[in-house]
Amino acid sequence: MIQAIFYKERIKTFWYSLLALLTSVGFAGYCMLRVWRVCELKGVEHLWIVMMQKDVIFVDMLQFVPLFIGLALAVVQFEPEMQRKSFKLTLHLPIRATKALCAMLLYGVAVLLVVFLPAIALMWGYLHTVLAPELWQHILLTTVPWYLAGIATYLLTAWVSLEPTWSRRIVDAIMSLMLIRLFFLTTTPEAYNGFLPHLTVLTAAFSLLSMLSLTRFRDGRQD
Amino acid sequence: MLAIWQLPWCYNFLFAGKSVSTPFTLYSSVVGEFAMLERGEDKKMLYYDRAGNNYTEAEFDSILPMFYYRQLVTDSRFPQTICGREVTPRMIQTNNFNFRLSPSELNKPRTGLYQMLESMSGRVDLELPDDVFRLTDSGIEFVDIATNSVNVAKSESFTKMMSSKGFKFPAYRIAGNPTDRKEYDEGYVMLDAERKLYHVKMTKSRPYCRAIELPADMTPEYLYITEFPARTMLAFIIDTQGSFWVVNRPSYDVVRTGLPAINPNKESVLIMGNMFDWTVAVADRLTERYYALSAEDYSLLDTLSFQTPSRSAKGLKFLSSRDKFVKPRFE
Repeated sequence: MIQAIFYKERIKTFWYSLLALLTSVGFAGYCMLRVWRVCELKGVEHLWIVMMQKDVIFVDMLQFVPLFIGLALAVVQFEPEMQRKSFKLTLHLPIRATKALCAMLLYGVAVLLVVFLPAIALMWGYLHTVLAPELWQHILLTTVPWYLAGIATYLLTAWVSLEPTWSRRIVDAIMSLMLIRLFFLTTTPEAYNGFLPHLTVLTAAFSLLSMLSLTRFRDGRQD
Repeated sequence: MLAIWQLPWCYNFLFAGKSVSTPFTLYSSVVGEFAMLERGEDKKMLYYDRAGNNYTEAEFDSILPMFYYRQLVTDSRFPQTICGREVTPRMIQTNNFNFRLSPSELNKPRTGLYQMLESMSGRVDLELPDDVFRLTDSGIEFVDIATNSVNVAKSESFTKMMSSKGFKFPAYRIAGNPTDRKEYDEGYVMLDAERKLYHVKMTKSRPYCRAIELPADMTPEYLYITEFPARTMLAFIIDTQGSFWVVNRPSYDVVRTGLPAINPNKESVLIMGNMFDWTVAVADRLTERYYALSAEDYSLLDTLSFQTPSRSAKGLKFLSSRDKFVKPRFE
């Protein structure tokens, strides 16, 4: 049954997933192209010095890309079922509703990992050839909260999308915005290093919020 | 959690924006008093000292000749002697310095890579090197930027020299100012694993390492290289008790200043020094304290304090002016 749910989710999100993968890898590739261009024009020495003295990380434009990818994935995955009121059919499958929802969320998170990891791998693949470990780790660790924000945004958008009443949706959306702000408090590279374990746990905890919406949906709450 | 985070933030954003301003304050060796200037309620500048004397703008220039020497020269009012010593604008320019410390600069993420400039190139302009170094558990390791590989010969040469001087790896603390926008280079001051102080630099492509003897009762905690134009100091040190020390150059004497204990993790420090005195401003969230030190023996001449009460509401915060890390804190 879980496989059937995965299959259903795949049908809904396949083309979007492909587009998200291209976007994610495309942005990461473009950032690497900029790094390569700096090396070609001014020399690799300039790249190291700018990173060490001015704390430039060259991948700033990636900051909100995972967030929008996560947001759009949740909309693509959950909104059609909610709008067509077919989500209740999923809840009537011979499987516990919470388990069905978990499978849906798990599918979404897995898609995001498939979308994000090649981008990170691409960056590592190039950066580790031209930079010392301290410097490429400096860049990649800075991007970790951004990718976590992508997953968090997906889970929070799922929470908002599955909420059956509009008034509560607005409250949930405002709370989600506040929570997402937590991932973008500063642009200082590696500022989140010590907070990353907490941020990861918090992101995982966001998956529980969808269960609240599910409970309200099953209770028949309506505007 | 959202409420205790966002409500104080909203309050601070809306109501607690402007902090209490304090007058610009400098110690004047001419009048032996703190001199201050600020904008009055009618937007006019007020010039006065702590004793209650008011000054005109021109008089204010004259009681702070070390700060306003360029104005005095322009007005042909530059004196031949100050406090009984013959002075020239060039002497003042060479001996003036500003030094700033802030908790957020101390507590921020670092890459752990540093650049060792050539201290004795024979050229007027400094040049950035084509390698960087890292400090490991067993030595110092130079990495060639072009090839992204370790320069084994140079690494061994420096490690050997440092070890021969008694340096125990890994280093506990390192301080330097690796930029080519300065007049000269003094490399780095480092604390080794036993918190012994060393001066390390590169001269004529060769390693230079010197152990600096510390007073018996002093355990250094924070280091700052100075590289001021006068070349009379090598570094500042703050020890575990918060005492502020100066490493003189070229004698390498370590001299304790008359400043009371400083906590660089919580207090910002601004030193405006000249050949007669230093004005040291130490600020935390509630007070701004000024200390006047003698430039000769670093003894305390005078103190002044302003209250700067904070109007911001306490709550859960993830950022702080004291560091550049994101972490939850209640302040």
